[in-house]
Amino acid sequence: MVEEGIVSVPAIELRGVVKDYAQVRALRGIDLSVEAGQIFGFLGPNGAGKTTTIRLLLDLIRPTAGTAHVLGLDAQRESLEVRRRVGYLPGDLRLYEGMRGHDFLDLVDSFRPDKRDPAYRQRLLERLELDPSLTIRTLSKGNKQKMGLAQALMHRPELLVLDEPTSGLDPLIQLEVAQLLEEAVADGRSVFFSSHVLSEVERLSHTVAIIRSGSLVAVEDIARLKGRSVHILEVTFAEPPPADLFALPGVRELRRDGNTVHVQSRDSLDAVIKAIGHHQVVDLRTEQPSLEEIFLAYYSGTESEEEGDAEALQRS
Amino acid sequence: MRKLFNVASKSLRDQRWQIVGYGLALLAMAALVVFIWPSYRTTVESIKLPQAMQAFLGSDLSYASAPGFVSAEFFSWIPVLLIVYAVVQGTGSIAGEEGSGTIDLLMAQPVARSTMVLQKCLAFCVGAVLVVALGFVGFALSIPFVSIDIGLADAAVASANLLPITLLFFTFSLWLGAVAANRGVAAGAAVAVATGTYFANSLASGVHEISGLRYASPFYYYGAGLPLVKGIDWPHVTLLFGVAVLFLVLALRAFERRDIAVGGVPSLRPRDLLRRVMG
Repeated sequence: MVEEGIVSVPAIELRGVVKDYAQVRALRGIDLSVEAGQIFGFLGPNGAGKTTTIRLLLDLIRPTAGTAHVLGLDAQRESLEVRRRVGYLPGDLRLYEGMRGHDFLDLVDSFRPDKRDPAYRQRLLERLELDPSLTIRTLSKGNKQKMGLAQALMHRPELLVLDEPTSGLDPLIQLEVAQLLEEAVADGRSVFFSSHVLSEVERLSHTVAIIRSGSLVAVEDIARLKGRSVHILEVTFAEPPPADLFALPGVRELRRDGNTVHVQSRDSLDAVIKAIGHHQVVDLRTEQPSLEEIFLAYYSGTESEEEGDAEALQRS
Repeated sequence: MRKLFNVASKSLRDQRWQIVGYGLALLAMAALVVFIWPSYRTTVESIKLPQAMQAFLGSDLSYASAPGFVSAEFFSWIPVLLIVYAVVQGTGSIAGEEGSGTIDLLMAQPVARSTMVLQKCLAFCVGAVLVVALGFVGFALSIPFVSIDIGLADAAVASANLLPITLLFFTFSLWLGAVAANRGVAAGAAVAVATGTYFANSLASGVHEISGLRYASPFYYYGAGLPLVKGIDWPHVTLLFGVAVLFLVLALRAFERRDIAVGGVPSLRPRDLLRRVMG
């Protein structure tokens, strides 16, 4: 399916990509390398520049500065070849409302006649529980999203570029989509998807890049991010503890309910244990931190602007 | 084949009811005008229209002759109908798909922007030929049964002469859509130009002081029913066709260089518009 050697070329390579719109700078110099053969999550709050970045990859918009390569090809000069090998799901998906599902998928297939695979397309539609004989206008939002996914997946592209792929899908179909993406990667292909939901990125991807206000904040391996030791402790004292008990480096008091204090500690637990050792402890529980909490512990920083964005992420 | 003309065939399929609608309208009008000629002939032959009125009817032909009558009643205003079709399709091809948001998925397929536009242009040409052909069918179904001084060949030539001006307004609105990325703005401008040049031609031809204005109007070069008696005016056809191609080239250039707009309307500030016009 995938030729030898392609795996060594990054699926996506952005260098110093800047994008200005009439009044706004949407991307402020993005450098990003996405290794092939994995699911890469592109995370950020709404308006951070996710869709702008994605549309650059398909030459729908052109960068003001910098270069973008997709599958080793120049995203602008060699866009036709890029688009031949990429399956794309737009974030703001609009389909030809008057067409029947079959006719629409036939139209998409007609651009890559050599990659037509009616049997696979049929299986895909069955797995997504989508009836292609219906006119697109009559489909619900979720079913239109499935149609968008089907057209992106059905020619088994080397790279899937999906802008908010699970938006509008019910949980069971979300699982099916996750499965389809895993299969694509098992097949040696790559997936690049955006999301503003951290838990989704945590569930689906191997690597995550976090974008905020047009700049990349971090690129992290999900497993390593999860492996980062962030401890969440729930300590119940016999008496109200001093207010400044947890004013320690790397330690954050999350909240207090009477005598119970929720504490988060980065790296070692030692400082917390020593601090509570001088008080009478009634109960001590530990929680498994979610990626969300790890992310916040490492990236919420001290700037108030960053706090705000982190909260936006958490809310979504 | 499938890949070569996929956008064109989809575009043509999308236009099918418009083609049928406009085509049947032309067919009915053509047949009607021919069939009523004998009853009007006696009345009209006795009338001598003032020159200004004659000119306003859009032809230098005498209203009292069959070609003059068919010119005034059919060929002088049918382009207006065809131009509505041209503007709908021309502004829809780029700006319309941007407005509806479907262009993102279309242009994410391996198809060059120029190929997409040229295929849509091809689809329009086929559609326009079909509409005009249906109009000719109207003549073919009526002329043989009526005593009228117009041959089928003359009607065919004059019908075909409808195409260059139709194509011109198609590529003109295509270009406006490529520049403005906004269908409403593009269609408004196209209709304004069509209306302005239509009246510039018909009014200017009757008023000596501004008679020069008509040379700036595509309707002058179109010539309404003149081809019924004089055949095709090749220099005029070449001019209309040449300007049509010019606007097509400008449209391709403007669309090739800019970002594809989706979801929102891009800036319509004069400075930004001018930048897109200049490429």
